[in-house]
Amino acid sequence: MKKNKLQTKQVIILIIILIFIIIAIFSLTLKEDRQLNKFESLIKDSVVSVEKIIFYPFRFVIDKFEDFKELINIKEKYQNLLPEVSRIESLEAENIELRKQLEAMKEELSIDYTLNQYSFLNATVIYRNVASWYNTITVDKGTYNGVEVDMVVVNSQGLIGKVVSTTTFTSDIRLITTKETDNKISITISNGENKINGLIKGYNYNTKYLEVEGISNTETINIGDYVYTSGLGEIFPSGILIGKVAEISTDEYDLAKIIDVTPIADFNDINYVAILKRKEINK
Amino acid sequence: MIIILIYIILSFTLDGLISTYLNANIIELSYLTTIFSIISIVIIYDYFENQKKYLLVIIITAILFDIVYTNTFLLNVIIFIIIYLIIKQLDYYISNNIFTINIKSLVAIYTYHIMTFIILLLTHYNSYDMKIFLNIILKSTINTIIYTTISYLILKKIYYKFYEKKIK
Repeated sequence: MKKNKLQTKQVIILIIILIFIIIAIFSLTLKEDRQLNKFESLIKDSVVSVEKIIFYPFRFVIDKFEDFKELINIKEKYQNLLPEVSRIESLEAENIELRKQLEAMKEELSIDYTLNQYSFLNATVIYRNVASWYNTITVDKGTYNGVEVDMVVVNSQGLIGKVVSTTTFTSDIRLITTKETDNKISITISNGENKINGLIKGYNYNTKYLEVEGISNTETINIGDYVYTSGLGEIFPSGILIGKVAEISTDEYDLAKIIDVTPIADFNDINYVAILKRKEINK
Repeated sequence: MIIILIYIILSFTLDGLISTYLNANIIELSYLTTIFSIISIVIIYDYFENQKKYLLVIIITAILFDIVYTNTFLLNVIIFIIIYLIIKQLDYYISNNIFTINIKSLVAIYTYHIMTFIILLLTHYNSYDMKIFLNIILKSTINTIIYTTISYLILKKIYYKFYEKKIK
């Protein structure tokens, strides 16, 4: 009887030790910047390649079906876009003029870089948040295509996230709709006249807003103002649209503003993305 | 054995394929969200007499799931083994039919999400709240039942038409 009790105690202690070891392992491996080793990368690349072949007929049929759905609504979309099309020419002319002015000013001030210089790499999404918990998507471009960890990812609407891990032919992207991010995003709120800098501290799952902090209560911000990346952090280049101001409140001491931002990108429908590489700055 | 392997590979690839057509945002998950690989390991339990081989299949599936889909190390291996132990216990008390196999699949899927939720919470990976957890559980239910029912019926029909013995 005594022996049995002793054995049960030993088993319980062993289980507790095992749980602690497992949690310790997970604490280390669940870190955002965990990189797959060469063996894991090889397996992932191989599986993705095989899956691409298996997926191809399915994707082909589904894409054709999606195309057909687009065609049904094309007349309505065309009517909606007509006023926008007429504005493009004037915007293009304005854009050319602004580029000229920017180049002239850079020459005048001897600046050979700006924070918004980057090149694009287009990629297709191959997995979206499998297992529901990780808030990541996987794309079909990797280190072979020049992708590196911390590169910024956008879609046609705006910022969606950053690269957190890479293999030779794939990359994992963590979406900005993650509650707590290690790298806070430095942003600029622009209402045409003023530019106010702040930091995105994370995403609120209940309100579905990105929360911006670090803005003095004396600053003037309006609902509907655009929010861009400021380029002041090490990762995100400037001028990438993030969203629009949705709600404005103040903190408990009435000293700072808390801004809620509606992300401009539709995170439920991400099929194609562009990975941005900020150009090297010659110091 | 080949039929079983094809079924597992198909389920594993479905996890990737279906994900590209469902919502990526954790708060707005689709009602078709589920984990096909976990359902497949529940369904195939009945076709294995050799438990070691069954466990080996589970571990390989879990390692691949860790590497390919979640970029984690051993997390899914441990959760899949826990699911295996639960299935084993359930199978001891409940024999399989169309109704009980669905119960087992739901238990397996819920166990996966409960374990993941607890581990992610303990390791401070991301502070998800109960609302998100319950949302994932709710959204996983419908497709788990659909896929379990379809694959149970199809596999049963195919397997007993061509094979009679269990995998030794």
